Parts: sequence; C-alpha cells; structure tokens
Amino acid sequence: MLVSAIAAGCGGGGKSKGGSDETTGVTITVALATDPPPQASMDAFTKSTGITVKWTNNDWDSLQTKISAAATAKTYFADATDVDWSRVGQLGKLNWFYPMENYLDTKALTSEMPQLPSFTSGGHVVGIPYDASFLVTTVNKKLFAAAGITKMPTTIDEYTADLRQIKSKGVVKYPLNIPFAAAEGLSTYWYQTTAAFGGTILDGSGKPQFATAGTPGFKAAQWMIDAIKQGLVPPGNINVADSQGQQTLMAKGSVASTFADYSGNVGSLYSVPASSTVVDQVVYLSTPGVSGPGINVSNPDGIGIPRQAKYPAAAAKFIDWFTSAQNQADFAGANGPDKVMPGYFLPSRLAGVTELTQKGKLIGGQQLGDLLKNSAKPVFPEGAPSWYPEFSKAVYTNLHAAATGSMSVDDAIKAIASTADKLSS
Amino acid sequence: MVAPNHGVRRARRFDFLPYALVTPLTLFIVALALLPAGVTVVQSFFRVDELNPPTVFNGLENFRNLFADGAVRSSLVNTGLYVLIGVVLSTILGIIMAVTLQQRFRGRSVLIAVLILPWALPGVVEGIVWTGIWDSNTGLLNSVLSSFHLISDYQVFLGHNRLLTVFAIELVQVWQMTPLSTLLILASLQNIPNDLYEAAHLDGCTPRAALWRITLPLARPGIAIAMVQAVIATLNVFDQPYVLNGSADTGASLTMQTYFISFQNLDFGEGYALSLLITVATLIISLGVVKLVYRQVEY
Repeated sequence: MLVSAIAAGCGGGGKSKGGSDETTGVTITVALATDPPPQASMDAFTKSTGITVKWTNNDWDSLQTKISAAATAKTYFADATDVDWSRVGQLGKLNWFYPMENYLDTKALTSEMPQLPSFTSGGHVVGIPYDASFLVTTVNKKLFAAAGITKMPTTIDEYTADLRQIKSKGVVKYPLNIPFAAAEGLSTYWYQTTAAFGGTILDGSGKPQFATAGTPGFKAAQWMIDAIKQGLVPPGNINVADSQGQQTLMAKGSVASTFADYSGNVGSLYSVPASSTVVDQVVYLSTPGVSGPGINVSNPDGIGIPRQAKYPAAAAKFIDWFTSAQNQADFAGANGPDKVMPGYFLPSRLAGVTELTQKGKLIGGQQLGDLLKNSAKPVFPEGAPSWYPEFSKAVYTNLHAAATGSMSVDDAIKAIASTADKLSS
Repeated sequence: MVAPNHGVRRARRFDFLPYALVTPLTLFIVALALLPAGVTVVQSFFRVDELNPPTVFNGLENFRNLFADGAVRSSLVNTGLYVLIGVVLSTILGIIMAVTLQQRFRGRSVLIAVLILPWALPGVVEGIVWTGIWDSNTGLLNSVLSSFHLISDYQVFLGHNRLLTVFAIELVQVWQMTPLSTLLILASLQNIPNDLYEAAHLDGCTPRAALWRITLPLARPGIAIAMVQAVIATLNVFDQPYVLNGSADTGASLTMQTYFISFQNLDFGEGYALSLLITVATLIISLGVVKLVYRQVEY
C-alpha cells in the first residue's frame, strides 16, 4: 500500500519549485531521529535569526522511508533532515540534497570535523555531521581482572586469547558480544572487525576486497563466526541487534567486551546506574588490530537540506548554528543540564569534544578525542556507494545465516562478494 | 377553466443530496486507493529505478526478476506459512472465545474489554513486548522453562529453524488478530435466535450437537469475515517478523521484501510488481475463503 501511495505521488507529484532564499520571518521544519535541543536554545536561535524551527522526531527507519518517498514524489517533506553516512552515495547520486558547500565553508570545516569526508559524494558535501559516532572496543575491566588479565590486549590475537581465558576461568559463560541479528549493526560490526584486521571492504570502484580466504574481510568474518561457534558469544545473539546487546548484555555484565561498540556508550549507558549494573567497570580500549591498535570506522549522523526544502537558506543557517562548536558542547552537557539535548553525547567538532573533556563532562573524553582525531576513518574512503543499502542487506543476511550454521563462512562471503560485484558493475 | 390533471405525475426533481454526501468519500477512495492501485498496475510493467533512470516499459521483466530473487522466493514460502498458521489458529481461537463469551457470566464485559487490548496495540509494540518472551539470552520463556528444570541451557527459538521461527512470530500476530476474529464471530452468534436452541433442547439435542448443528453453521458469515481479515493481515505481516527476527531469510515476509526493494534499493518498478502480486494473492485467497466458508443465513 505504501508503494502504491508513492506511485500516486510519482504520477501526480509536482516538480520542485525551488526554495526561497528568505532567512527571516520564516518557519522551517527539521526532521531528525532525535529529540530537539532545549526550548531555550531554540528560542535563542529564533530570536537571533528570525527563523522559527518546527522539530519533527521520527524513528530512523521511518525517517529514511519519508526521505525517499518525498524525494521520489518530488514533494516537500522538511527543510533540513537526516543524512546518514551509509546513504551519502545514494543521496549524492540522486541529487536529492543541496550541496552544502553552497551554503557553508565546508573546506574550513574539514579540519575541525574529521568525519566530514564521509559526507562527500561526487565532490559535493551532502550533509554536515552533527555527531561523531564511530566504533570502538569496550571492555569490562572488572571481568578481565577477575580472569587474571592485568594488561589490556593490543592485538586481535591477544584479545581473543583473553576472551578464551575469561571463559575458561568461568568468569562469564560468554565473554564477547557480537550482534548477529540480520540488521545493519551486524554489517558495521564486520566493517570494524575488517578494519581491525587491516583491510577495507570495497575499493574505489566498489569491487569487493574480501572475497578470498587470506583477506582481512574474510578473516574478520571467520573470526566472528568462530567466536559464536566456539562459545565466546552467547548462542542467542543470532537474534540480538547492536543496541539490544549493549543494553541487555554489556550493560548488565553478562559479557566482558564488545569489539565494535558505539563511541559514547561508556558515558551514556554503562556509567548510568538506571541502565547499567557495571557502573565504573567498562572502559574504552584502543581497538586491537593485527600488530597493534587498529583503526576505528565512523558511522556518524549528518544533517542536510533536501531539494524540495521551502527555505534552504534558512535551513543552512540552522545547520550552521546546530553544528557550531559551542552549541555542540552545550548539547552534550559541557555547560549544565539546562542546555543538554537528550541523546546527544559526542560532538562532531574537535573543539566540542575538547571542551567537554576539559570540563570533565565526557567519560573517556581524552581517549575518544584522540581516537576521533587520529584513528576514526570512514568505512568507505571513497564514500558509501549509491547501492550501499542493498549491499549491506547482503552482508547482514549472509553473515547471520553463517552464524546460524545454515551456510559456511566461505559461502556467505561468496554471496556478499557476488552482490558487490553485481552492483558495482 | 382547466381541471387539474391528477393523472399525470409531476417530473421528480433531481435530488443532489445523496451524491453530495458520497462525493467526499468517493474522492477519498479514488485518490488514495483506486488511483494508486491503477498506477501500481501500470508501473509494475515499467522499469522505475531511481538509481537507473529513465523509466521505460519492460514488460514482465520485473516479475521475472522477482521470481529469480532467492530472498523473494524464501519470503513467499514464509508468507504462505504465516497465512496458513495465522488464519487457522486465529479462526479456531476466535470461535472458541466467541462461543465462550456468548454465555452470560460475571465479568463478561470486562473480559471483552481486556480482550480487545492486543488488537489495539501497534505491531511494532507487540514485537518488542514479545521479544522479551522469545529472547534467547534473557527471555521470559527460557527463564520459566529453566526454573521448572525443563531445560538445562537457554534455547534459541528464533532464527535457527524456519518453521519454528515462523510459528513463533505468527503466534504474536495471532495474539493480535484473534480479538477481532472473536468479536466478528461473536456478533454473528448474537444474531442467532434463542428459540432455535430451545427447540433443539426440547428435541433432545446436546450442547455439543447444538454447537455443530446450529451455532457453527449459522455463524458462517462471521467466520468468513474473520477469516478474510486474517488472510489480509497475515499476507501483509511486516512489523512482527521485522522486530523479532530482523531481515533474516528464516522469517522475512513478502511485504518486507517490498519495503527493501522499494525504499532501500529504490527499485520502485519491482516494488510495484511485488505489491501487485500480493494484492492479487489477497484477492484470490479471500474469494476462495468466502466461496468455501460463507453461506447466506436466514432465521
């Protein structure tokens, strides 16, 4: 039925009339998968610019559907909305968003926002990252210590050996959390593990870099599947999604480590007594690599301006304000609870992270800042391909099938590589 | 002087009111149902791929691609199982509950009100609630089985075995659908005159015989409607498998594939084609159910 409705939209939808350049006395709609900043902050923005913001909070999946539906039907949906890192290639190729370099000095922003390159497609900046999500290893140091591990691992081999030691000493039955549910979180976990093994997923033309047994991507998949088969990962994790595993396993002390965890989780989840039984026990660990710390792959959220926006110039002003260093620090809690934006923890600007760290408002802030500056890299250095969603589905459905035992790692990797080959050709 | 001609009827004035009253609804149905349906039928024969323009006629190519797609074929099997399990279970449970609720007893009204609750809940919420039951690491079912020493290790209910996965997911939808089935059948039962039961009782008919010879035959219109709504709901199941089992082949439904094809791959042509196939299947199965179960009833 939804497709039918889109059909009607496509059939009868009006062409984009082009947005207005007005930036005062207008009301813009901002649609993101998060709660808005505090009303006082929004009022201050309205007072200083004359732009009123109507905030719409949609869940992530619905938001992506709305973005596609509105763009396809060429109808207005919002003046500023979510640009997920994984859809940058698709949105860029379809020209569904205004190039942000038309409105902001994106070159100057690059040094301050290390993840901005993840939002570039075809030479255009599709969106501006407003948080700095990347994947990082977390460990429960108390459980590691209970197994007699005093020196934290720096390589994959040491890390794996430590997990086996935790299991063999009976500290916990299953020490590792890998979310094997057939969902996006499994794909990103594999990307991070592949990066830790020293590899990449696709080359610049979209060809798979993991198809043969010796490649880092293949080794990463094998390592993950071995982990569940050898009892390092709870068997029930074949139906556990990423955030579910963090909340019900890692935050409850049922597992000792999550190899590819969300940056910010130590402060926002594991150190919050209401949601965690492991307060002060979980720390970030420089992600173990082949011969030392590996890189951390980025999965930040961005904000951009759809082509059907009514007031693109006003939306750009809002994005400039929303992603300013001061506001990001405020929203993340650097300057008191009154200015906090719910669910916002890690600024995309280094200055924001620095301010939070200096004020002691970000648990593990120094380490996160260093990781963000030095080792956080895009999953796809050339930008996510336009066919990424279809590729990702092939990744998570096949790795999930391998975890359930219904197919071998070899077959799963072949199926994923075949999908990448088909889509990139 | 001309006498009035009483024998000739005056021409009736055209009455606009009925047309005015139905016009908004007609426009609503045309704009939001018939027009999209028509466009879907037409566009399903075109390549409508946002990432691969332009839109061109491609005959049956979309349908060929769908049947060549392993994920779609797998979802077809899953959806068939959802329909079979869901329609059978919700109808049987609906009949049992309706017959029970037909009796007068204390708290009946409260029970009916409580019964409606699962039907009123959104599918996503139900999926989340039942995740707490089926979850293989921390779920209620494992906890209960374990505390009664019926299992030594926690069991994995979803994801390993297709039949078990589909059954477990469909139970959640049955839990949602059965209240409506019950109410539809109950409405039918309440139309049955009490005289029939009294006459049957005087003729020595047992309650069980009355159920088979009076209640069920006369409830067939309600049962048919309940089954048709169950067919429509199960053929379009989305929220429960998506929340409980992600996109895994062991539980993915056809409507999930429609979503992936249309809104992730942006291949609307194939999405239209799959929508059309689901609609046609819904019509055929629903008509089959009506033909098989529905009977005109007169008291």
